Amino acid sequence: MNEAYTAVIVRGERWEGDVETEPYEAPWARECVVFIRTLESSASGPSSAQVLISPDGIHWAREGSRVELPFHAGGVAFAKLTNFGHFLKLRASIPTGAWRKVMVTLALKG
Amino acid sequence: MLQVLQRALMQADPRLSRFTPLPRILSFDDFSNGMSGWTALTGNYEETLDNVLPAFRGMYAPQLSCATHWDTGSHGGLSNSYALKIATRSTRGALNLVLKRLTFPEVCTIQVEFYAAAKPEANELRLSDRDVGSFGILLDLQDPDRTEAPGRRAMPHLKYRNARDGKLIQRWQYKSSVESPHQVGTTGETRSHPHFADEGWQDIQDGHQILCYNELPTKLNWHYVRMAVDLRSMKVTALQCNDRHFNTASIETMVMPAWPNLACMLNICLFCETATDKRCFYYVDSILVSGDWGHE
Repeated sequence: MNEAYTAVIVRGERWEGDVETEPYEAPWARECVVFIRTLESSASGPSSAQVLISPDGIHWAREGSRVELPFHAGGVAFAKLTNFGHFLKLRASIPTGAWRKVMVTLALKG
Repeated sequence: MLQVLQRALMQADPRLSRFTPLPRILSFDDFSNGMSGWTALTGNYEETLDNVLPAFRGMYAPQLSCATHWDTGSHGGLSNSYALKIATRSTRGALNLVLKRLTFPEVCTIQVEFYAAAKPEANELRLSDRDVGSFGILLDLQDPDRTEAPGRRAMPHLKYRNARDGKLIQRWQYKSSVESPHQVGTTGETRSHPHFADEGWQDIQDGHQILCYNELPTKLNWHYVRMAVDLRSMKVTALQCNDRHFNTASIETMVMPAWPNLACMLNICLFCETATDKRCFYYVDSILVSGDWGHE
């Protein structure tokens, strides 16, 4: 049976401006679905997060996937990833004056 | 006869031979088959995550790691390619704690043994041996629901204080002072307390020990740690790190009146804390929980 693990890497943090998640190492995982759920949101502006990958958890490259952060509380967005080279993180840009309070969950399988 | 046979079988098993378990094995994880029930801790909350105490907010999920570094690649574990990794955030004093939740099957002595190594994030090309603040183990225990004396919640806390303010300390410590519980939410049913906070730790007698840091943040040497607690007295009865067997007589346990809905709780918690604005990692290759119940 495959290993499966759900890792919550952001739990109700308020995102403003440019933010990054902690790096997450998952060398055993062949696939990952990154879920972002909005708990609360300010009134203005679209926001998104991009996926970064790394061979060592220190040096990062853009993977190419981008997740639009849900505007409404309870909204869930996701990106499906494979071959991510063992370390993952998200970098989000929230427009000036706006904010999101989010959960970020990695659904990993391998 | 049974004990001799059991000992012989364990010593013939390469996975178990490096451990010294009590007669009954409750849990054995070498992380070759997954996370095995190790999970993140969250502070207690009610209605909203906003009332999680600040000390808990930086905690997040453990990782199944190959201990991979930029200069040499995957270090791997002692047993196989994988180890459990506990990672802090990159803010001085940040602490992360992960745990496995059990209950004890009988009031007995419980022992936890593991092979582990602590290292700072290798994002600077220098020794970095004073960047890891501390790492350790704590148990979260509570008496069964029916006891003659008033029930206790007991939390033996043990850690290796590696460094503080740029100076090596390299000393084993315990904590027995109780952090005041905070009421969480409005129903009166939920409390929380940052029992692991850095204040109130005391040195263990003759507890200075120099571990094998090994020259670079990317070199990792496994250390054996063993602790035991008698659930009758809630006292620590053994603390060993490699060749050092510490005198546990002076180690006091954090004890408080029993909390609701925690009867027979046995939580095994591992943690690390950074001394600088740099992540630190506590890698655990394998961990075995055993007890001496059911042999009368």
